[in-house]
Amino acid sequence: MIRFFQISILLLFVSCSLPTTKGYLERSVSKKNIENNYFSNEKTDYIYKAKIEIYNKKFSGLLIIKKTGVDQHRIVFTTEFGNKIFDFVITNGVFKVNYVLDELNKKIILKTLQDDFYILVKQLSKVDNQFDSAKEIVYQTKYNKNYDLYYFFLKENNQLFKIVKSSKQKEKVTFDLYDFNNDICTKIDIIHQNFKLKIHLNYIGN
Amino acid sequence: MTRNIFFFFIFLFVNPYFGFSQQERMSNKEADQVRAKIIERSKSTNTIVSDFVQTKHLDFLSNDIKSTGKLFFKSPDLIKWEYKTPFNYSVVFKNDKLFINDDGDKSKIDLGSNKTFKSLNSLIIKSVKGDMFDDKQFAIQFFLNSDNYIIQFTPKDAALQSFIHDFILLFDRQTLEVVEIKMMENTEDYTKIRFIGQKINKEVDDSVFSN
Repeated sequence: MIRFFQISILLLFVSCSLPTTKGYLERSVSKKNIENNYFSNEKTDYIYKAKIEIYNKKFSGLLIIKKTGVDQHRIVFTTEFGNKIFDFVITNGVFKVNYVLDELNKKIILKTLQDDFYILVKQLSKVDNQFDSAKEIVYQTKYNKNYDLYYFFLKENNQLFKIVKSSKQKEKVTFDLYDFNNDICTKIDIIHQNFKLKIHLNYIGN
Repeated sequence: MTRNIFFFFIFLFVNPYFGFSQQERMSNKEADQVRAKIIERSKSTNTIVSDFVQTKHLDFLSNDIKSTGKLFFKSPDLIKWEYKTPFNYSVVFKNDKLFINDDGDKSKIDLGSNKTFKSLNSLIIKSVKGDMFDDKQFAIQFFLNSDNYIIQFTPKDAALQSFIHDFILLFDRQTLEVVEIKMMENTEDYTKIRFIGQKINKEVDDSVFSN
């Protein structure tokens, strides 16, 4: 009997291990790429009031995102006064640090920020699997030699409203995207489950 | 005549300092006099209340980022920057600490451990008063145009310079008030704060600085 419970509990954990696509049915892939156009206009300066909490430190300021080339984005975080906290360039997935404040100049922090911003601004991601529910579609893409999976959640009208990064066992990062104004996402929350990092963005335009 | 025009254009192109802004370098004697006048003036500045317009210029952006707000200063070292547009954010510098009110979300940063931030903040306080004449800390250059004394402070400390390449303060030649602070990050990118409607030595209650 005890053994039966042990197996049941084990099965329960296994079946609930990845709630990301729970309630969705796997379908055949209907499109090659998923498009994220929230940072795709080269003429737009995407300026957000930002709060970034790393470990127990809070940084507040402006996060500035600009598409600067076909597959290139500049991402700059400054204080309200205008002093830079970090300044990154992502070109074709390759990350370059122009500047970073000493306090944040740690490999794990930079790698985490790199992964977050890369997926946030990446315009096209290859679809590997697809899941549907009555009102939503989820596209899954493999990343980082298949160790990590990204799930893109779209509404019926094709509006991307959530991205989830997970390993094969558990969710690691959630990107909640809300309040859309034309092609601009005006509110973004990036929350990590296994790393003390939270990023809150509020669009202030320009 | 043609020859004069030719030399005039050569003059414009060769020396950007003497370009359209008619900015020229002061002699050492003039610079010493101006420095003495400004220091004297800043000693009698006990409070400042002023509106400001901040412009952030980043070379890769299509437009500059503008924000506006109000500055409060009370001698010797109380200062509050209150941003009103396009966001509500205020910061009080008090006893080596920053008290932040970010649209109702309050926090405190102790600058004790961060040398660069600490010196940056002390410089911002000094720049508001116009009292930044520390030759050990800066290489200082003096210029003037028809309305302003333009004084450029280049930090000698490498850590601070990686943060701010130059501070450029503009003083009104008549009142000797600081009318603009420009912080150059490098040759292209800068933050410029322009003060509008300054009120000097008006009474400012200490409660303004509890954030």
